[in-house]
Amino acid sequence: MARDLGELNREDFARYKDDVKKEGKSFFPRALFHDTVMSLVVVCVIVALAAIWYFDADGVKSGILGPWYTEPADPATTSFVPRPDWYFYFLFYLLRIFKWPETVFIATVGIPTIALILLIGLPFYDRRRERRPSRRPVAMVAAVLTVLSMAVLTWKGATAKEALGSELVAFVPEWAQEQGFADDPQAVKGAELFAQSGCLNCHTYLGQGAGNLGAPDLSSIGQTNEATYFVRYLTNPAAFGNTVMGSYAYLGQENLDALGAFLAASKGG
Amino acid sequence: MSDASHDNPHAPGPSLWPIGFAIGVACLLLGLVLSWIIAAIGAVLAVVFGLLWARDVTREVRGEVPEIEPETRAVADEAAAPAGPPAAAPLPTYTRSRFLEASTLGISAAIGAVVTLPVLGFMVLPSFTNLEEQEADLGPLENFPEGKYVIASYFALPGGGEVSRRTVFVRYNGLVENPANQGRQEPSFTILYSRCVHLGCPVQPNGPIDEAAKKNVNGVELRPVLAQSFGCPCHGGLYDAEGNRRAGPPVRSMDRAEYSIKHGRLILGPVYAVGNVSGTGANAMISRYPWSTPGTHVDGIEAWLYPIVPTQVTG
Amino acid sequence: MAKKSKRGTLVETAVLAPLDWVDERTAAVRGTKWFLFRNVPRDISWAQTLGSATLTAFIVQTLTGVILAMYYEPSSSINPTTGKPVAYSSIEAITNDLTLGWLVRGMHRWGASVFIILLFLHMGRVFLFGAYKYPRELTWITGVFILVTGMLLGFTGYLLPWDQTAYWATVVGINLNGTAPFLGPWLAQFLATGPEIGSETLAKWYSLHMLVLPGAIIGLIGVHIYLVTRLGVVSPPWSGERAGRERAEAAPTGARAGLVRGGTSGGGK
Repeated sequence: MARDLGELNREDFARYKDDVKKEGKSFFPRALFHDTVMSLVVVCVIVALAAIWYFDADGVKSGILGPWYTEPADPATTSFVPRPDWYFYFLFYLLRIFKWPETVFIATVGIPTIALILLIGLPFYDRRRERRPSRRPVAMVAAVLTVLSMAVLTWKGATAKEALGSELVAFVPEWAQEQGFADDPQAVKGAELFAQSGCLNCHTYLGQGAGNLGAPDLSSIGQTNEATYFVRYLTNPAAFGNTVMGSYAYLGQENLDALGAFLAASKGG
Repeated sequence: MSDASHDNPHAPGPSLWPIGFAIGVACLLLGLVLSWIIAAIGAVLAVVFGLLWARDVTREVRGEVPEIEPETRAVADEAAAPAGPPAAAPLPTYTRSRFLEASTLGISAAIGAVVTLPVLGFMVLPSFTNLEEQEADLGPLENFPEGKYVIASYFALPGGGEVSRRTVFVRYNGLVENPANQGRQEPSFTILYSRCVHLGCPVQPNGPIDEAAKKNVNGVELRPVLAQSFGCPCHGGLYDAEGNRRAGPPVRSMDRAEYSIKHGRLILGPVYAVGNVSGTGANAMISRYPWSTPGTHVDGIEAWLYPIVPTQVTG
Repeated sequence: MAKKSKRGTLVETAVLAPLDWVDERTAAVRGTKWFLFRNVPRDISWAQTLGSATLTAFIVQTLTGVILAMYYEPSSSINPTTGKPVAYSSIEAITNDLTLGWLVRGMHRWGASVFIILLFLHMGRVFLFGAYKYPRELTWITGVFILVTGMLLGFTGYLLPWDQTAYWATVVGINLNGTAPFLGPWLAQFLATGPEIGSETLAKWYSLHMLVLPGAIIGLIGVHIYLVTRLGVVSPPWSGERAGRERAEAAPTGARAGLVRGGTSGGGK
């Protein structure tokens, strides 16, 4: 009772050394055998990954484990969508969660720094002698939560999509199929414009889009009005009492007509 | 290890001068980038505090007694200490070995300084000093239609090669009166730098690019685009036609480039940071700041997190 | 004991004499014996192989990295033959043209991921076993630094192929550091050697990736392994015959091992 923690710790360790000396097994070969088997597995996995990666991809064409390389670095690109290596996905997604300018540095340096300090300091704030997981509920809950949140962040980061023209144009045939305007070239052109012009930065459409600024889903907007109405709306949303959305008159009448046709054809699949 | 094995340490007494010395060195290095006055002040501080420090350290050698006693050990330890073997009688060379200790340390420090300071300086300083300020020629004004954005990709450094390729979004705002120049009619441009001010990703214009109207003038690639907003592909930043943030994490408005008109050609100057833009086009009121890394606030209360930023040219 | 033949004795002398000669001067043989023929707890098994598996992955990285450095050229200028950056072209050549280059590059690339995964698994195992507690605090801290250095190695190596993914991930990474309060902008500008990534950046990161960080991590791994060898490996904390278990009443070693259940859990506080 009077003995302090350091004394008890030293006793524990002396007993440990004693036990290992008397009851232990030799590191070589009894423990090292397990180690070598495990190492063999590791090396085989590395070679297998390399082989699958190489034989499934071809140059910039991606296989199941990604491409050999992407296009050469282009500091002036306006179409590339950057993504980090998988083990930084959690940080990547963390940066998307903190989407308020005031909080940027919390996600960029704040949380990683705190995590690192907690990690380094672990032996100093968890000083109990108890090692059994069943008697360390706080540590175990914290560990499970950490693993879970890392897993969720990594998964969300891996599947994160951006509402950008360069990616969204690929969905146009799918939309045309679902909404049944595949044989209307004007509506298809409108769909391409819709994908490219940043509409999905705010709106959503058939599961795509960012949903910023409280903009509505447009998947079935065609049920409400007809093409000419949409053209007038797009030309001057303020006239319809919408002060959040800007005017799209700069697209030109021909493009606006196409957009109107597309919106009118969007009956909700 | 028992505590008794600790001999009476010869460590010098505590001294506050190293802090002043460190501040001086930091000032000196900072001054090499910022201004020679700060560098000179830093050098003086470093020398003065360095001398004071050296005086402090060598006090014992010179036979003076430090005014602050080293911390004493706990009573229990002192009781245990005499249990060790009896200390040998001090040898006559005692003071001389003290001198050797001090000079070995001093010489080592000198060697360390001579070797590491130039190396560290060469490692760090070129990032802040060897910056070339270059102007880029974007070609004749006729290539920029009024009220529409053109994606211009150019070489920021003439000999810099592909790695210095940059992109700006250029919009011609028409002719406006310049009161500073006797009310003469001058062309006005809005030139937005394509890097997101959240973390530097390549911003994309939200609109169809007119690939048919693509032009290539002396290595400058011009592509008209029907867009009045810009989106970032990384973390969901969204900007309006003036480069103001509309959604997502960007901490300020899009960076802009200075420009000038020479012989009917648009010449790009350095990039600067923008806190906020009110108004549009030629009438826009721009709160401008020296350029800083993406993700650093330039205005508002968060700006105090970044009090000094490196002097910048962007190329 | 069988009587040794004369030849056997000769061979033994021929082998042992030089070893003795070396050992007398360096203590290398004694050191190796200290490392190999020490006792470890009798109940350790596969869970404790993760550390050595991580080491194996690191050795794979070292070997493949050294070989890759013989063919890779860290330059962002344009190769006049291919019209692409020199670094990118050398990666293309390693992957496509040079015999077995794809395998070595693939092993280095995927070895990095395996190394990081194993680091995390190893850390998880240590956490679960409470193995970071007295007297192994420093082992844990060097381990955390190995993890950080390992992630930095992954991050610096990511730039080297000089493709789009590499370039933009690095832009974001540098600017992440740039958002650190006070010194961030300076750090970012140092990492990029200027306001933006330029021609010097690649060479600087190459130097970091293959000189600075490997030097650091090899030193850390050395300290880590020394500490593990000196302090020993912990038994699974739930094991009935774990080394260092508390006995009911100073019972002789091994007696009534299963009944004791580790004893006073409150004694630690």
